[in-house]
Amino acid sequence: MAPTRTAAPGDLLTQVAGARQTGALMVGGHPGGTVYVLEGRVIYAESSAAPGVGELLTSSGRLAGRTWQNALDLGTSTARVGRLLVEQGHLTQGELELCVLGATYDAAYFVLADRSAPTEFVPGATHWLGPVVHIDAIAVDREVRRRIGLLDEICPNPLIDVSPVIPVTRPPRERVTLTAPQWELLVQADGQRTPADLAQLLGRAGYAIIQELRRMAAAGLIELPEQRKKESPEFVRLPHPRGVAVPIAREAVPVVAGPEPVARHPPPADPPPGENNAGQNRLPRLARRKPGAKLPKEFAGESPPVHQGTDEVLLKRIRTALRALR
Amino acid sequence: MPGVDHCLQEAMTIPGAVGASIVDYTTGFPVATTGAAPNSDHEAAAAGTAEVVQAANSRSLFVSAIPHDLLEDLIITTAGGYHLLRMVQTEFDSRLVLYVWLDRVRGNLAVARRMMQRLADELVTR
Repeated sequence: MAPTRTAAPGDLLTQVAGARQTGALMVGGHPGGTVYVLEGRVIYAESSAAPGVGELLTSSGRLAGRTWQNALDLGTSTARVGRLLVEQGHLTQGELELCVLGATYDAAYFVLADRSAPTEFVPGATHWLGPVVHIDAIAVDREVRRRIGLLDEICPNPLIDVSPVIPVTRPPRERVTLTAPQWELLVQADGQRTPADLAQLLGRAGYAIIQELRRMAAAGLIELPEQRKKESPEFVRLPHPRGVAVPIAREAVPVVAGPEPVARHPPPADPPPGENNAGQNRLPRLARRKPGAKLPKEFAGESPPVHQGTDEVLLKRIRTALRALR
Repeated sequence: MPGVDHCLQEAMTIPGAVGASIVDYTTGFPVATTGAAPNSDHEAAAAGTAEVVQAANSRSLFVSAIPHDLLEDLIITTAGGYHLLRMVQTEFDSRLVLYVWLDRVRGNLAVARRMMQRLADELVTR
């Protein structure tokens, strides 16, 4: 049962798949994530940089948050959340499969792209979603390589993928043409949100977001991360460009070989937000402190939600409700 | 309960169908495939499919002629075959297209288009 370790996540995945094993391939680094394998076939992948099936279905308004939560409550322990949603008539089998396929390939890109990330395989671990699709592991790895190449053809600067998105204040041309997703990104980019934040907020595939951002960078519509650092050293977020500075050697996630998803829970010992924000071990996705929030509650051990602020969740629900009226 | 595989099996029952796939057109990746592909390469075909869809969607102005207009299908005819692309409209974020390759002699464009419309709808609704 001892977890295996090697260097490249993709190689370990292929090796595990070759031996027709079942378990979770946990990859650290930034953003890191997990690939779930059932008898050598990939059934799901998740990463903090890619919205999962739940986020995709609820942020689009396809499922009510309540419906999703009910399915989680009922199906998590038996790892059949996906099947339940279809059986209860909330989703068609086709929708579920397409959503899982999309989310899996999307997350796999973030999990497997960094070949130097620390990796371990936890045999026996399964995912609460249950097996919905069965994907050839070699195909997944090959597709990840191809996607890296596609991005580099657009604009070969991987820093864009992890740095806060800052639109240029003055466009480089008189006339600028945007696609609808690019418009959404520019509206939501507040100079603080990273591509991962934007993907979760918009409920769009993380890779699709990065693709658009690289295109916008190539068109000179967003600032290039490196260039910004040089030009304005006294910029607000001083020493830590998000993500890249997270020490690679840091232990990934406490390992739990069970149905509970572990990848998204931050370790409990975080320093209180607001103080020492630039500490060595700062996680990339700490909840932003709300302006009026009181400190004592946080000290009392009530861990603040890791997700987006309540106002964003509320806005999203309002948007969904408005859409329903249209 | 029709899933992705069932949808592709049904697509192969369209008269004259030689091959079928579901393609993610942001990445040019074949999410699912069956039957033959042009030059026996589903992945290359998917990459080509994605370029065609993106060209129609963003680089041409057809789709933006009317506000809230949507691309439905693209049909390419060649001397030897028909290539039909039908957008799969999911409510959640995805960019998928159903692609069917038909033999020119045995295929019937109108019938195929109707059947693909039904298949793409059935995949995501009841």
